[in-house]
Amino acid sequence: MYKLSFTTSGQYISAGLFDNKLLGSFIFKSDKGSTSLLIDQINELFKKVDLERKDLSVIYFDNGPGYYTGLRIGFSVAQGICASLGIPLVPVNGLDALAFAAHTSHRKICSLIDIKRNEFAYCTYNPVPGGVVRNTDPEVISVDNLEIKITSDTEKKLLVGNWNLLNNKKILNDSNSKLADPKFVTAEHIFNVGERLFDSDNYPNFNEIEIEYMREPDVTLPKENLVKKVNFYD
Amino acid sequence: MSENKIILGFETSCDETAIAIMRNEELLVNKISSQIDIHEKFGGVVPEVASRAHSEMIRNLFHSSLNEAGIELSEVDIVASTDGPGLAGSLVVGYNFAKSIAWSLEKPFLAVDHMVGHLSAPLIENPNLKPPFLSLLVSGGHTQIVLVEKWGEYNLIGSTIDDAAGEAFDKLSRYCGFGFPGGPAIQKIGEGGDEAKIDFPRPKTSKTFDYSFSGLKTAAIYYLQGLSDDQPISKKDFAASYQEAIVDSLMSIFEKAVKETNVPTISGGGGVMANSRLREKLMIFSEVEDKELLLPSPKLSTDNAAMICVAAKNNLITNELGLDDIRLSSVIS
Ligand SMILES: [Zn+2]
Repeated sequence: MYKLSFTTSGQYISAGLFDNKLLGSFIFKSDKGSTSLLIDQINELFKKVDLERKDLSVIYFDNGPGYYTGLRIGFSVAQGICASLGIPLVPVNGLDALAFAAHTSHRKICSLIDIKRNEFAYCTYNPVPGGVVRNTDPEVISVDNLEIKITSDTEKKLLVGNWNLLNNKKILNDSNSKLADPKFVTAEHIFNVGERLFDSDNYPNFNEIEIEYMREPDVTLPKENLVKKVNFYD
Repeated sequence: MSENKIILGFETSCDETAIAIMRNEELLVNKISSQIDIHEKFGGVVPEVASRAHSEMIRNLFHSSLNEAGIELSEVDIVASTDGPGLAGSLVVGYNFAKSIAWSLEKPFLAVDHMVGHLSAPLIENPNLKPPFLSLLVSGGHTQIVLVEKWGEYNLIGSTIDDAAGEAFDKLSRYCGFGFPGGPAIQKIGEGGDEAKIDFPRPKTSKTFDYSFSGLKTAAIYYLQGLSDDQPISKKDFAASYQEAIVDSLMSIFEKAVKETNVPTISGGGGVMANSRLREKLMIFSEVEDKELLLPSPKLSTDNAAMICVAAKNNLITNELGLDDIRLSSVIS
């Protein structure tokens, strides 16, 4: 039996097929027009490693935070395959996946993911034997607030995730902070966390899985929306 | 395409999450999970809200569709989905869900153009619809006159240069606080009203078959703004007159196109084709001109997945199928 993991939440779309080790993977930069590339590339991956679709036993997928369209594509593909094959779907939080990848550090881990419109999803972790624990719940944060948070905190920190996208010299030059890998989520990071969640039965029911958007939808009301007082009689 | 095939179709191009299952000519299930309640408070479809709702609704709708059709997923022979045009964030949900099902089942997948879906919708109830015919496709997103000379060859001969007909309904309805979607709301309010009460502008004759609705909407708003406090207007008459102006505009250009192309059959589709005044005028016109009129019923005029199934089926005559998309040719030129 084989396991598939993928991430579509950021600038890179990647997927991997595993048994106990990596059997094959792909990664490509996402852009407009890559709407159906995920399932097409998964198809190619199965051909390359010569595996049967029906031998798939579970999917681990990155359910956010991140870019909306990518997340929706990933979620739709994950739901489609799992609903058809009747196999479990395990959502993995991208911030957790980044922090877990750095868990052998002794520093506090600050995990960051771009969610566009100059906002970022942010969460801090402490390393513990065999993993990481969240210090707080993930939050949405602006670059300015992030700068204050990082530069005012004298604890030794490891920065993982999309820090380079901030273009903020004060954070990148902060003497207590060290920029580290991973810089973005890959299928392997998702697999490593997903595998643990799956083995410990620590994942939601298929019907309860949602995307971690972390903020309300972007609603721009049309200009004509104001209901005018019109002199009507019935 | 050989007989006895089961087609599973998806449509999520705007604010309806829709799934249908067809076995041959028989529509086993045609489910639509509308988001009207969600969008009503905004007075229009909010793309990001629509996309989230599709993601949340699609898997339950999928399971209930199979249950209601009384079939096992393994019995499905072909999976089809709309791949555009529509709201990008909404389209990706149904398209990727559908394509992943096809991939998992190792069954062929067909991407269907939404407008080809509308063009093909009359086939669900009238399998004898045959080209050449002229179709009037009207909704909140499109106003098109399409000449179908043969299946697969779609010639867009007229479209709107500004607002779609459905938008003309929606925008005025939003302005007046009549409700969303605007077409059904205005039709309901205008029932029994005097459609000749207000003389809204009709399109000027031109050489093309193109539409324009923004002037009509502006005229209606100016009309309301020009009313003084001691000069109220009957809501009923206002709604009826506005609807009549839209329907007349749609008809005059379409009539000209029918006469010039001299097709024996006329058809149509889209949400506005559910409007009873428009259907009535099309019926009268077809009788006077001795044309065959094959319209989908109002339920199949609005967005649905049955039209995606029937478009896929109609186009699967000689194609060799594989996972690679056979994208049913688009109307949009
Ligand atoms: Zn439509």
